[in-house]
Amino acid sequence: MSVYLPGTLNELWNLLDEPDTAVMAGGTDYLVRRRAGKSAGQICCLERITALRGLEAQGGFLEIGAATTLTDLLESGTVAARLPLLHQAVRWLGSPLVRNQATLGGNLCTASPAGDTLPALYALGAQVALLSRDANRVLYVAEFITGPGRTVLESGEILARVIIPLPDPDSVQHFEKVGRRQALAISVASLAAMLRLDGDIIRDIRLAFGSVAPTVLRCTEAESWLTGRSLSSGNLNHAADLVRAAVSPIDDVRATADYRRQVAGNLILRLKAYRP
Amino acid sequence: MIIRFCINGRDTELDVRGDERAVDTLRERLGLTGTKEGCGTGECGACAILVNGRARLSCLTLAAQLDGQDLTTIEGLGSPKTPHALQRSFAEHGAVQCGFCTPGMVVAAADLLARDPHPERETIREALSGNLCRCTGYTRILDAVHKVEKP
Amino acid sequence: MSHEPYDIGPARPRLDALAKACGTELFSADSYPPGLLWAGARRCGVPHGILRGVDAAEARALPGVHAVLTREDVPGSNRQGIVHKDMPVLCGTRVRHCGDPVALVVAESRDVLRKALALIHVDIEPRQTLADMDAALAPDAPLIHEPHGSNILLAAEIHKGNAEEALAQCDVVLEETYFTPAQAHAFLETENGLARLDEDGILHLTVSTQAPFRDRFEIGHALGIEPWKIRVHSPFLGGGFGGKDGATVQCLLGLAALRLPGRTIKMWWDREESFLAGYKRHAARMHYRLGAMNDGTLRSLVCHLWYDTGAYAHLGGEIMELGMEHAAGPYRVNHMDCRGLCVYTNNPVAGAFRGFGVAQASLAFEGMMDRLADRLGRDRLDLRRQNALRRGDRNCAGVTLTSSVGLDECLRRVQGHELWTTRHAWKKDAPPFTRRGVGVAAVFNGMGYGRGLADNAIAKIELTPDGRFVIYSGVPDMGQGNASTFAQIAGEMLCQDAGRLEVIQPDTERSHPSGSASAGRTTYTFGQALIKACEMMTTKLVRRAALALMIDEPGGFTLVPGAVRHLPTGKELPLTVMGAMLPRDDRVCVAEYLMPVSRDVLDTGKDFPLGFPHLIFPFAAHLVRVEVDELTGLVRVCDYLAATDGGRVLNPQNFHQQIEGAVAQGLGFALMEGFGTENARITTPDLSTYLIPTSLDLPDTQSVAVETLEHSGPFGMKGVGEVGMNGPLPAVASALSDALGAHITRAPVTPAMILELLASRGAQA
Repeated sequence: MSVYLPGTLNELWNLLDEPDTAVMAGGTDYLVRRRAGKSAGQICCLERITALRGLEAQGGFLEIGAATTLTDLLESGTVAARLPLLHQAVRWLGSPLVRNQATLGGNLCTASPAGDTLPALYALGAQVALLSRDANRVLYVAEFITGPGRTVLESGEILARVIIPLPDPDSVQHFEKVGRRQALAISVASLAAMLRLDGDIIRDIRLAFGSVAPTVLRCTEAESWLTGRSLSSGNLNHAADLVRAAVSPIDDVRATADYRRQVAGNLILRLKAYRP
Repeated sequence: MIIRFCINGRDTELDVRGDERAVDTLRERLGLTGTKEGCGTGECGACAILVNGRARLSCLTLAAQLDGQDLTTIEGLGSPKTPHALQRSFAEHGAVQCGFCTPGMVVAAADLLARDPHPERETIREALSGNLCRCTGYTRILDAVHKVEKP
Repeated sequence: MSHEPYDIGPARPRLDALAKACGTELFSADSYPPGLLWAGARRCGVPHGILRGVDAAEARALPGVHAVLTREDVPGSNRQGIVHKDMPVLCGTRVRHCGDPVALVVAESRDVLRKALALIHVDIEPRQTLADMDAALAPDAPLIHEPHGSNILLAAEIHKGNAEEALAQCDVVLEETYFTPAQAHAFLETENGLARLDEDGILHLTVSTQAPFRDRFEIGHALGIEPWKIRVHSPFLGGGFGGKDGATVQCLLGLAALRLPGRTIKMWWDREESFLAGYKRHAARMHYRLGAMNDGTLRSLVCHLWYDTGAYAHLGGEIMELGMEHAAGPYRVNHMDCRGLCVYTNNPVAGAFRGFGVAQASLAFEGMMDRLADRLGRDRLDLRRQNALRRGDRNCAGVTLTSSVGLDECLRRVQGHELWTTRHAWKKDAPPFTRRGVGVAAVFNGMGYGRGLADNAIAKIELTPDGRFVIYSGVPDMGQGNASTFAQIAGEMLCQDAGRLEVIQPDTERSHPSGSASAGRTTYTFGQALIKACEMMTTKLVRRAALALMIDEPGGFTLVPGAVRHLPTGKELPLTVMGAMLPRDDRVCVAEYLMPVSRDVLDTGKDFPLGFPHLIFPFAAHLVRVEVDELTGLVRVCDYLAATDGGRVLNPQNFHQQIEGAVAQGLGFALMEGFGTENARITTPDLSTYLIPTSLDLPDTQSVAVETLEHSGPFGMKGVGEVGMNGPLPAVASALSDALGAHITRAPVTPAMILELLASRGAQA
């Protein structure tokens, strides 16, 4: 059983021609699955391909190499300053040790309904650049992920970059993850919210929920209802009911569907803190 | 496959299997049993080592990934005769009970101090949040890192 | 290196701490002798059934497989167990839980082992799964252990006075039922060991074990070997907490070693196997009716306790016994009628775990105290102090407390602490969407084995030829630091510094039987034996020195660091000289100690084969401050205070380490650790589903020592290894009832539970 660590994309494409080749970035999901017998065959590591790492701000966007570690993201001043939503989401993912090797691309390709970076990426309107030997395509994250653990990634294709439009500096970015403990916890409900206020009136708002549906849910019903309304407890409570009607959570060992539904709505109420 | 890497300051060459885990290479091939295994799934941190100065989970690292890298294990940080300041501090502050989590804790703490030599106690708490301890309740571990003798 | 005597009193770094911090201390798991083979069990994966066949042909044919063993290959009785030997080494006809082993593979590598295990085909005819105690107690339930004749491992009663009669005369009677879940030890070093049968027919084992001496008997009985032909070495354990008390890997390893003489066999359970096959805390149900007078005096308790022991007994009866003995709490209650049932089910095997039956009961007895206080409009601490046991009282089992009782002082310390006195202001100051609560609990935990099983230890100390002292510990150190404490005791007695003292970890060939590392007993019992051995050593060295120095009588001598000194003349004989001079037989002292037991003759507790009653108890009062998030139901522990009576404190660092660690496990038990099963199948199979607290989940516990003098203990101490575990769950329940106005009856407390309580109480500010 072979392990390859290509240094360039060209080397990578040749390796991906072989059947039964799994692509691995940080390994924090992949090697756990492999240990459980859910994957076999040869492994192709992406970590040595410098073209897939790093962050670059240009033209109002931040481009992040898919194999950039989450720790690198956390240590990025640009992410902290311009994308606090993503910064917070990454901060509560796993643990410092996990983050030292786990990658943004990996979190996207695992596409767990509870993936910690995903609600933020949906709320930010992020796109992913998919690359193969002969082609590249750019999709919104919501188009990239199609179901629990499912993406549109084709064989011979990798997720190369994440492209995030840099939000208006005075936009409010709010993230909250609910887990059964404060670190190394799979999210049972999470909210990534971005909004702009005129006084206490909501000019626009995005609400992306994690762990309460097969994929991240943008609650457009609550978003459109809240737009143009004030950031008051009464309005937020009404929006919370809309959220609860929109989510489709499951029961599992970590939480019941009822709990997730109730909490998803409740998380909206926390936005009251941003009322000027 | 042949891999070449530097471990605790010594250049080493090994022939490893493709699916061999770094934690097994260290413990079984190189006799460096200071690095422990508690879960095999990245949930406990007992297997932490420094790769190019950064702490990572050796149970979720393939030996193949060590090629060309610079590794430091707990043994490389210090020994009982010449302990690292952190190792001494752990012993003095009562941060060691059963001791099985300790190497991983010290490695994670070493990574933190390399980046932030004077961290706040709550920063230390967060930095060690990926290392489980079942014996201590963490208080004395945080003390040990917070009060470590600075060079 | 310090040249002062290594004495009792100051906080000292442990002697093993630096080596552990440097990764040089070798745990059992760290041993990889050349040429070793790996052994692993094929577990049945079905909670209850008849084993029709095991097809191992494919596995045996796999290159690199040295043996595949099944029940036919097991000599001896094929039964292991500590007291009650009901657990097969390899199952023959019946499987009783999903982790029951049906075959043992020995292979040249872990890779081959894994592949071979997957090639074993098992044919099981399922039987009705008894997934909980009620199913097991139903009249038509199939028997899990046919020879036993019942699914009740043990039914027992403890009576004091006339409980029902007294209850009828009480001003207030409160009734409630409580539930606590199974809990996993989750030690960082999972179960493991090595075994080798040598040319002389001696079976050598190195195991991560809390009971090396008893292991020989367990292995011997299971495999038909004479126990004195088994040698067990137990290095420092990477955690135990009770989960390594009783054979885990030992009999399987012995079986493999017998089959492949001369080969070293290693077995190391991965985390999932540890959860599947290792022991758990007994899940429990407790029904309480407590009667008291309007003035707050407790009068009578009628209670039923049920303990789910899973597929095999382990120490189920003894665990239930201890819970029952503590059922009324550390209070004066003149009447008690306590009935207990320890029930077999097809759940994973329950066994010893710190707090041994009492951690469960503590939720109940403390929950009732809070209810009573609330009903009577009394301060929760005042009510406890009013009823707290004092030395000379009889406890709820009728045992006279002749030993130290510092409970009231513990409660007084908590009551006077700022965390309690500022509680009203603190609660009022709660941030948005947050409720705050402050809770208290009073707990205790009997030390030692109790009556019926000799709690005995034998200490051996040797003066080496180069003038140092080696202490041969008979009780494993699983992190509680007893090795260091033994060195301190010896240092104190012999006036020697740490550099001259060495402690050898237990080895059945070199140390002497001293019981298990459990029951909070190791420092107490072995420590007393060690003190005696040191006294013998002092007497001996003094007399030999007198001879050597030609001084006609041994009075006037004393030990000083490195020498024996004659005070009237100032003459000294260095220990190096004494060590070189004396033959080995004359350099060794052995002494033993037997823990005292209650002398009360009680007309109750007759159902317990052993363990009833206990005599010596550490006590503690705990306080916790919590915040509840109204939107998520998450509970954050802000502050924790534990005031503990462990007699005299020998080493403050060791003492507080035990309390802090026990509180951490107790908080996990309270807030996140419910070992889950559904139809007797595990729903929390690994560390991503079974959650223990991380550094971000715990506050810095403040631990205060309340010193009493336990006359019977070494330098006045008693063991505090367990008592800290019992406080957090009731304290958190107490804090939550304070925050939410609703009582918690079930652990772990989940966020969903909190949201339901909040909803049912309405949106009150």
